[in-house]
Amino acid sequence: MQHIIRAEGLIKTYGGVAARRRVLDGVSVDLGRGEFIAVMGPSGSGKTTLLFALSGMDRPDGGRIEFDGQDLSSLGERALADLRRKRMGFVFQQPSMLKHLNILDNVILAALHDRRGQAARLSAKARSLMEGAGIAELAERDVSQVSGGQLQRAGICRALMNDPLVVFGDEPTGALNSSAAEGVLEMLRKIHAGGTAIALVSHDARVAARAERVLFMRDGAFVAEERLGTFAGTGLEGRVDAVTAHMRALGI
Amino acid sequence: MYYRIIKDDVLKSKGVTLATLLFIVAAAALVASGAALAAQLFGAVDALMEAARTPHFMQMHAGELDRASLERFASLNELVEDYSAGEFLNISGARFSLGSKTLADSVQDNGLWTQKAGMDLLLSLDGEMIRPVDGELYVPLAYLKDGTAALGDEASVAGRRFRVAGFLRDSQMNSPLASSKRFLVSEGDFEALRADGSVEYLISFRLKDPAALGAFEAAYAESGLPANGPTLSYPLFRLINAVSDGLLAALLTLSGALTVCISLLCVRFTLLAKIEEDYREIGVMKAIGLRLATIKRIYLAKYAAMAALGGAAGWGLSLAFRRPLLAGLKQSMGEGAGAGLGPALSALGASLVALSIVCYVSLALGRFRRLSAAEALRFGAPADARAGANRPRLSRSRVLGVNTLLGIKDVWARKRLYAVMAIVMAAATFMAVVPTSLYSTMASPGFSAYMGVGECDLRLGVQQAEDIPARAAAIAEALRADPAVLSSVALTTKALWTTDPSGARIRLKVELGDHRSFPVLYSDGVPPTGPGEIALSAMNAADLRKATGDAMVIYDGSSYRKLRVSGVYGDLTNGGKTAKASFEAPEAEAMWAAAYAKLRDPSRAAEAAERYATAFPYAKASDIGEFVRQTFSATLDSVKTAAYASVAVALAVAALISYLFMRMLIAKDRRPVAIVKALGFSEADLSAQFAVRSILVLAVGVSVGVLAADTLGESLAGAAITSFGAAAFRFTGDPLVTYLAIPAGLVLSSALASYVGARGAGRAAFVDHLKE
Ligand SMILES: Nc1ncnc2c1ncn2[C@@H]1O[C@H](COP(=O)(O)OP(=O)(O)O)[C@@H](O)[C@H]1O
Ligand SMILES: [Mg+2]
Repeated sequence: MQHIIRAEGLIKTYGGVAARRRVLDGVSVDLGRGEFIAVMGPSGSGKTTLLFALSGMDRPDGGRIEFDGQDLSSLGERALADLRRKRMGFVFQQPSMLKHLNILDNVILAALHDRRGQAARLSAKARSLMEGAGIAELAERDVSQVSGGQLQRAGICRALMNDPLVVFGDEPTGALNSSAAEGVLEMLRKIHAGGTAIALVSHDARVAARAERVLFMRDGAFVAEERLGTFAGTGLEGRVDAVTAHMRALGI
Repeated sequence: MYYRIIKDDVLKSKGVTLATLLFIVAAAALVASGAALAAQLFGAVDALMEAARTPHFMQMHAGELDRASLERFASLNELVEDYSAGEFLNISGARFSLGSKTLADSVQDNGLWTQKAGMDLLLSLDGEMIRPVDGELYVPLAYLKDGTAALGDEASVAGRRFRVAGFLRDSQMNSPLASSKRFLVSEGDFEALRADGSVEYLISFRLKDPAALGAFEAAYAESGLPANGPTLSYPLFRLINAVSDGLLAALLTLSGALTVCISLLCVRFTLLAKIEEDYREIGVMKAIGLRLATIKRIYLAKYAAMAALGGAAGWGLSLAFRRPLLAGLKQSMGEGAGAGLGPALSALGASLVALSIVCYVSLALGRFRRLSAAEALRFGAPADARAGANRPRLSRSRVLGVNTLLGIKDVWARKRLYAVMAIVMAAATFMAVVPTSLYSTMASPGFSAYMGVGECDLRLGVQQAEDIPARAAAIAEALRADPAVLSSVALTTKALWTTDPSGARIRLKVELGDHRSFPVLYSDGVPPTGPGEIALSAMNAADLRKATGDAMVIYDGSSYRKLRVSGVYGDLTNGGKTAKASFEAPEAEAMWAAAYAKLRDPSRAAEAAERYATAFPYAKASDIGEFVRQTFSATLDSVKTAAYASVAVALAVAALISYLFMRMLIAKDRRPVAIVKALGFSEADLSAQFAVRSILVLAVGVSVGVLAADTLGESLAGAAITSFGAAAFRFTGDPLVTYLAIPAGLVLSSALASYVGARGAGRAAFVDHLKE
């Protein structure tokens, strides 16, 4: 199997000399092409820290990360930014849009960086993505004029603009009610079905249950793994039960 | 608790706190010094004029004096308390030598005077009336100040030997703005030198009731007593005495006010940045039930401490500088009644500065009221403006790169925020450009035209002499025959009569001759061409309420002439009230005459002046460049210093405020910066976005500043200059400096400071701002 990400022995420490804490304590993880994984763990276990390390937003203190065959530690700030823009997509817990741009402009923002003067073509692409997300009519709206769920779906459209190898999601439904969350998760499933790899972190079993593989994390280290197979849109409850049972067994 | 909070905050932002504190100290010191100087000045001027028994009215008169009729007038007029008709023995400056120096280059009318008991006293530096004995020369204070003379110097006047026995305060002529200087000698020495100079009478009156000055002036004009010379009065003496130190006091207070504004801006930006950073904490404080007033007090504490400290330090500084600041004033006028008030008044000034800072912070903290705890906790800092989603649209752009677009968008969406910065830049530009332009205009060779002196190289004045017309004609003849002279003209000033708007008959000094060859600057209209025309100085035009094209009637002693006003010009000479015409008025008595010449080689003006001074001892020959330099050198020097200081301050302010603004912006924009970085924008991209914002703001600010300086600043400088009687004023500064060097310097210093302010901001772990 070809890998997009190979991470080995990641270590990240926070705090001064007196109160040193290992937030990541020797984490290793692989992500295959087109694979959908979820990292589960209680709040504070180091999920976000791991995600930021894998995506090159933050440098770990130890360990090694290979992304699409490149060693991240060998890349400079600029190269990392290029990599994020061209090969990765992000969906955050809080809707992260620039307030002064309308939804459409927010969606095409990063894509426009490398395609100066192609705003028209990018807008067309963004509109078709938004169409697929059921938010086509919101394109010209202000960020403040749409609901959290709609904003999050627009965020996913933004993540897809550059046809990334992988979409990272940090609790993408954390700020949403359950029906809005359902819409977002369904969208992610479709993206995965389209061949894009997904790496989610969450403390919610209903979210993690959509993944092919669930990694359980506690105190900065993986403690177990569950292989669920591809989710085709049916039989969710059984998958959720399996994840929950595993968590209970681990005492999370 | 307050102490700990203040300490933490100060330690975290040492540089900014120190800079703000320094501005507060400077502001307090300036305002306090201004107050102290003003207090001292007004007391001292009155004290000096009281001690010197300065005349309420004075008529200068060259020529015969009928003492009997003067005596009769004074005894019959019940307004007169006392009078005198002292003799001012005008001696050419070249014949004064003081130590190793002479007064040959002096543009002042230097002369000898003897003390008169009772009024118009010349005082020693201790404020005592001086009684010189033979061989003693008392020298005007101005010559001590400019280093021409020192106590005990060997001196000689027209060959007679003296010793500089002391310096004198002259309540009329202390100021360099007064054009004569009186040296005090004994009666014996005066008589011995009488033949070496020409006598001019200073006919002085003290009135029983100074308020009756107007009535007295009218009575004097009716009396037929000598009137063919300048008249001066008590209010004018007072003004001349107060003007230079008064200007300094005003300048100090004004710069103080300006510095207060700068301090307020520093405070504003640091405070906003701090609130931005502490938004959540403030929300938490509100959520756990702390009262608004308590939260405000926590933030106010630091600034109250800084204001108090800065105010006190500024006051202390003003006390330390009190001695040197007031030294010159004390020397020229002595202690006044206001001296004791000085420290108290300056303490008041410093307190006002401190208070304004505290009030401002308290006002700015009012925004806490608008903050809901829930909102602060959930969303972080609120949006500045919601209406920003349109124009310019990224999705519609064809040419611009995304970083440029984002920069423009941000400025457009937060106009109010950036407007503050643009205004600061505009103000800094204005501040740097106006004094610089004023200086280069005043220093330019054409400036004499503003003062009412036509553009020429040489001026020969015939004053206080018999038979002015014949002597002027002789000089004119010599000039015409001189091969070194390119062109020349002789003009004679005569006292004619006209009526003012109230119908009263008043005297009008009219300069007669050909006014086309060396024109002064006309703010309106043209020089008089035919005998039916007259031009008025700006001050006379205003007084007589005449404009170009109006008709006016002149009486020349034998007949009435109906004339048309051909134009209005600027004049700083002879009190600014003059007129120019080209008709002949043989009946009228000449007051003075002057010949003007343009030389083939203007660089040899000084040499020519010397040649004519020897050939015509009764004429005052001056090379115009030197004339302007000396008359205006003090003013020019201070304008120059002010210009340099303004440029330096403007650069410093632009840099400091830009730095603080950038820090605030970065605090405000942590989250959007984190977002675009996560999306794959590099630090270079972010720098580009911030640079676009800065360039936009700088460009707008600096252009507005230059424009304002060119229009408003020019009118302002013009208003100051025209109030002395000059023509409509135009900046003739070096455009390269005004439009290029200064703006470029400001942009550079601002950009550099912004860069320093932004440095490291992107590197601070941006992911933390996403975790929030
Ligand atoms: N910049 C930081 N400085 C210090 N501690 C941090 C920092 N970022 C995260 N942490 C700590 O690291 C731990 C893991 O954080 P995080 O990765 O956000 O956990 P999760 O996403 O699983 O809730 C937490 O205890 C958090 O307090
Ligand atoms: Mg997290």
